[in-house]
Amino acid sequence: MENNFIIAGFGGQGVLLAGEVLANSFMLDGNNVTWYPSYGAEMRGGTVNCEIVMNDTEDVSSVNKSETDYILTLNQASFVRFLPKVKKGGCIIANSTLVEEKRPRDDIKYIFVPMTELANELGNTKMTNILSLGVLVKACGLTSLETVTQALDKVLPPHRKNLLPMNIKALNIGYAYDFSLVRA
Amino acid sequence: MTECMEKTSEKVLTKGNYAIANAAVKAGCECYFGYPITPQSEIGEFMSGKMQELKRAYVSAESELAAINMVLGACSTGAKAMTSSSSCAVALMQEALSYAAADELPVVLVSVMRGGPGLGNIYPSQGDYNQSTIGGGDGDYKLIVLAPSTVQECADLTYKAFYLAHKYKNPTILLADGLLGQMMEPVEFKKYPYPEVDNSDWALTGAKGRRARVIRSYAPKAENQCEFLKRLHAKYDLIAQNETDWEEINTEDADIILVSFGSPARNAKSAMRKAREMGIKVGVLRPITLFPFPSKRISELANTAKKFISVEVNMGQMIRDVKLAVNGRAQVELLNRPVGTPPSVEEIVEKLKKESGIV
Repeated sequence: MENNFIIAGFGGQGVLLAGEVLANSFMLDGNNVTWYPSYGAEMRGGTVNCEIVMNDTEDVSSVNKSETDYILTLNQASFVRFLPKVKKGGCIIANSTLVEEKRPRDDIKYIFVPMTELANELGNTKMTNILSLGVLVKACGLTSLETVTQALDKVLPPHRKNLLPMNIKALNIGYAYDFSLVRA
Repeated sequence: MTECMEKTSEKVLTKGNYAIANAAVKAGCECYFGYPITPQSEIGEFMSGKMQELKRAYVSAESELAAINMVLGACSTGAKAMTSSSSCAVALMQEALSYAAADELPVVLVSVMRGGPGLGNIYPSQGDYNQSTIGGGDGDYKLIVLAPSTVQECADLTYKAFYLAHKYKNPTILLADGLLGQMMEPVEFKKYPYPEVDNSDWALTGAKGRRARVIRSYAPKAENQCEFLKRLHAKYDLIAQNETDWEEINTEDADIILVSFGSPARNAKSAMRKAREMGIKVGVLRPITLFPFPSKRISELANTAKKFISVEVNMGQMIRDVKLAVNGRAQVELLNRPVGTPPSVEEIVEKLKKESGIV
């Protein structure tokens, strides 16, 4: 079984890191996983995204997929850009602090969570990415909160370990957020 | 991360570029010389820390030209030495590669392809198949070229690049692309699996207690150069005989064979599996060594397969070698993207459906 994910947002929002944590979780669960970034002349303020392909059967996954099971968008531009790429029956998750709540397609699921707002309440707007990862993990049900926490610890470099408690808090807030899956 | 990558029994999620760099260190690379260029800069970045930590040589060279010539110098002493670069900058190194081939030096070059010609762009590409397998230096020379398709292979083939370079005293290229360089996958860094090659009969180590040695590519007499070229090419024949490597899936009964190396081979494999479910008899042949190219095997398969489709991210370069191997006995077609991401699985499946008359 193969599942693929796109995480997209502004450069600087930490979408690559969130993707790396997710990919590490899948690896820790014993799956094959591939992570790759959109790679161009990206910069802070521009758009950036990464794709994660999780596979528990094949040893090598294909890349450049035309459809995606789960897309997490942290800003409006990414929501607009990636909405058409969601697989029929797939799911788009959006940061409603920055993304307008609209449901133009009726063949996919939508999850809107005010991620940046929740991160600000926690006291650090930079926690948006890991908080959003909590939402994604809950929505897909393909790895556990415990594994993602372990992956966070693995990915944060030694000189950033002081930020681990706050990241774990953010992850838990996202995971616990009561969103209702809405089929428009 | 560097701590993590020391462990051999555990998988780590890492980028192709870091996998190559870490494998080079584990292969015993003693000297790294390089000049940064996207999309392979992480290799130099990793080496700049790790090599100094291990008290090995790391030089941030003033140019690619300098870097490759430093590698030649280090290799002439028998050291395991390498550089890494990308397309337009590997173009600068062609003269030195020809010299290294003539000098029979175990140069290891990691080439992480990006878009060309000229400065091109930084997106992934396979536009340097010809640059690697044919080369841009003067004379009749061949480089060993290894092409990984996964991040694990980036590590494994880096080990192999060092081994083959030293075993055959021949410059060896690890040919990856920007997608593999930037891609993260779980990697297991095994122990360097090859024996150390004895170079005591040729390396320049100071002539104390023995006659002086000279390494040069200059043969002033015509007959000497004839003898030299014959010997050099006998070595290339031996390399072809011993080291040709490829992966083959479902080719026995295949009417159509997808030939693809590097990252697009991943999509060729997925497309093959999907097309098989539709009853299309298709197989995949993935060259792992680009020189030596698996010509003999492709030639054998041309007896049973009706069509070969070369799947590449360039305007069609490897297809020439496929055609030479098939030699007119089957159709050969190209399915390509000029630069960037590989042809999608759907695109390949559509092509296969069309070829098989399934609409």
